[in-house]
Amino acid sequence: MSKSSPCTYCGEASFIHDDISSELICSSCGGVQHLYSYRQRKLFVAQNLINEVTNPLGLSFKSSDVRSMISTITEGEFGQGEWFKVLIGACIYVVMRKEDRPLPMAEVASTIGIDVYEISRMILRVVDFLNLRPDFPEFDIVHLLERMIRNCSGCASAERNLIERMRKQGMFLIQCAVKWYLSIEWRPVPLVVAVLVFMVELNGVGVGMEELAKEVHARVSTCRARYKELLETLVKVAQVLPWGKDVTVKNIIKNALVGIQYMERNAMLKHGEKREEGLDQATVDLKDVVVECLRNDGEFEYGVDGMSKRKDSRYFMLESNAGRVGGGDSERQQISLECLSVLYKKFLDENNCAESLRGSGSAQKRRILQFDLLDKKLLLKYLLEKDVEVDTMSPSFVNGQLKCKMRRERINASMVRIKRIMHQSNADLADAEIPGTLDGSYPESRRKKRKGMVVDDVDWEDLIIETLVLHQVKEEEIEKGHYNTLLDLHVFNSGIV
Amino acid sequence: MADQGLEGSQPVDLQKHPSGIVPTLQNIVSTVNLDCKLDLKTIALQARNAEYNPKRFAAVIMRIRDPKTTALIFASGKMVCTGAKSEQQSKLAARKYARIIQKLGFPAKFKDFKIQNIVGSCDVKFPIRLEGLAYSHGAFSSYEPELFPGLIYRMKQPKIVLLIFVSGKIVLTGAKVRDETYTAFENIYPVLTEFRKNQQ
Repeated sequence: MSKSSPCTYCGEASFIHDDISSELICSSCGGVQHLYSYRQRKLFVAQNLINEVTNPLGLSFKSSDVRSMISTITEGEFGQGEWFKVLIGACIYVVMRKEDRPLPMAEVASTIGIDVYEISRMILRVVDFLNLRPDFPEFDIVHLLERMIRNCSGCASAERNLIERMRKQGMFLIQCAVKWYLSIEWRPVPLVVAVLVFMVELNGVGVGMEELAKEVHARVSTCRARYKELLETLVKVAQVLPWGKDVTVKNIIKNALVGIQYMERNAMLKHGEKREEGLDQATVDLKDVVVECLRNDGEFEYGVDGMSKRKDSRYFMLESNAGRVGGGDSERQQISLECLSVLYKKFLDENNCAESLRGSGSAQKRRILQFDLLDKKLLLKYLLEKDVEVDTMSPSFVNGQLKCKMRRERINASMVRIKRIMHQSNADLADAEIPGTLDGSYPESRRKKRKGMVVDDVDWEDLIIETLVLHQVKEEEIEKGHYNTLLDLHVFNSGIV
Repeated sequence: MADQGLEGSQPVDLQKHPSGIVPTLQNIVSTVNLDCKLDLKTIALQARNAEYNPKRFAAVIMRIRDPKTTALIFASGKMVCTGAKSEQQSKLAARKYARIIQKLGFPAKFKDFKIQNIVGSCDVKFPIRLEGLAYSHGAFSSYEPELFPGLIYRMKQPKIVLLIFVSGKIVLTGAKVRDETYTAFENIYPVLTEFRKNQQ
């Protein structure tokens, strides 16, 4: 008999060594003792922690990859404590990112129970330590959308075909959003939520924004802001439709399919034009399209005569086409002239803009013909506008330009005031010379009342600009708006010794 | 030295700035060794505009109005000066702080003055496609939209870190002489034009 640590079952400290099985057996209860070293226990705990984090994320199949990465970083030592959980989360994120399947950082952070910035610091350290930067894939917002659709609990009840259609639509729309700078100014997750909300509304799936935002740990208010921006941009896109001027944020859902398909069609046209050897051929093709469009004896269909078809286009099926197209024709789904006419009429009816058709049958037929003719003209206008692509600028860039313009106006106003003071005897003449500038410098909206008195329109910024102008600072420098720097350099002369 | 103050009024030297854009220096960080041990508590009690909270930070934080700067003064006699808008301002401010320390009775000197960091900024006046830039210059770029809206570009030569925003605003940091800032911007400008979003 030998003595060692107490029995793990009964607490007694008397054991018998079994020579046959080479096991240590308790002489009191007969329990077999399992003795692990410190290192073995540490590795076991580490593996449990890895599983504890990967399982809630649905990434248990990546456990071995994560373990391998952690082993590389810690040189096989692994670790314990809170910092180690952060490291596990960071490695999970990096493993998925390396495979072009990024997870939201917020989701990983929430699973571990830490702040997103804490895990982001660890992620950056992992990337730097493993020297992954040159080939590290960039954040893939499209994949994030796919993942959200796949994991959306509210969409689980929808049929499979509908989910697939939503996925395709969402992929197209999210890529357009990237092009429209909707994703680059802000964090990507709220935009993905906004796009998904738009898709579920478009397809009649009953999932709310709050539910979707909660699933990806995004703020609802931020998602609403992105959704609003998305709608506003889509309204701009819808201007290419014949009835585009009537499209608003409120009715954009009804026109979304047509608008997006028009945009896609234009992209296809551009793609087709690039394959043409010369501009003349493109012109000829366009002429042929116009000629064919104006024929009265048949329908005009897009996507034929050499134009390439995109796989996504068949997912933008229109309801009015469903009844007239059999199963065999689904691959050749296109917008027809008649279909467009029906859509337009339907839109007008819904907005109470169209007059009701009354009278005899011949009168109805004549009215319909007139309507078709009008619609053809609209199509002709559309066809001649080859570049209907929405070309938006980033909001921060636009705001920056506006601020520069405002500063320019203030600079001009300051120069006028300086000139007026320096040449008081010619004040009237100066006013006569540049009346436009004066008018532009003193808009009525800038007048203010203070203590019952009407004061001059000059505010603190005008005074600073005037001071800088007097010190002969370049106008281009003043336009930048770095007043503190310019004052220190040119007015207070602190740098001159 | 007099020409330094008039630099802002001169036309852009296109040989030095082919892009036509001159970054504006926003902050200068410098260090100096006063070469004597300091009693921070005494300094905090006697000097105006001095803060000292040893539980938070082991240095006296002192500010002066002209040049408008902030200094971190350590017990070892080392001092860090921040907030100046030019190299001359930074040196002048450091001298003023050293003079204040001398007036408090310490045998302060002015040794090893050095500009440690220069921060500049400018605007290229066109929007930039950050995704394309990050993809094309992946070895130097770090673009994490989940964390920061700008692209972090670590230029090797000169060793400057640039923050590039979609709006066209650029921040340059890490320079020890202003020419490094200018050179870094001229290096990055052709890259930015390559990924610009053209206006109609």
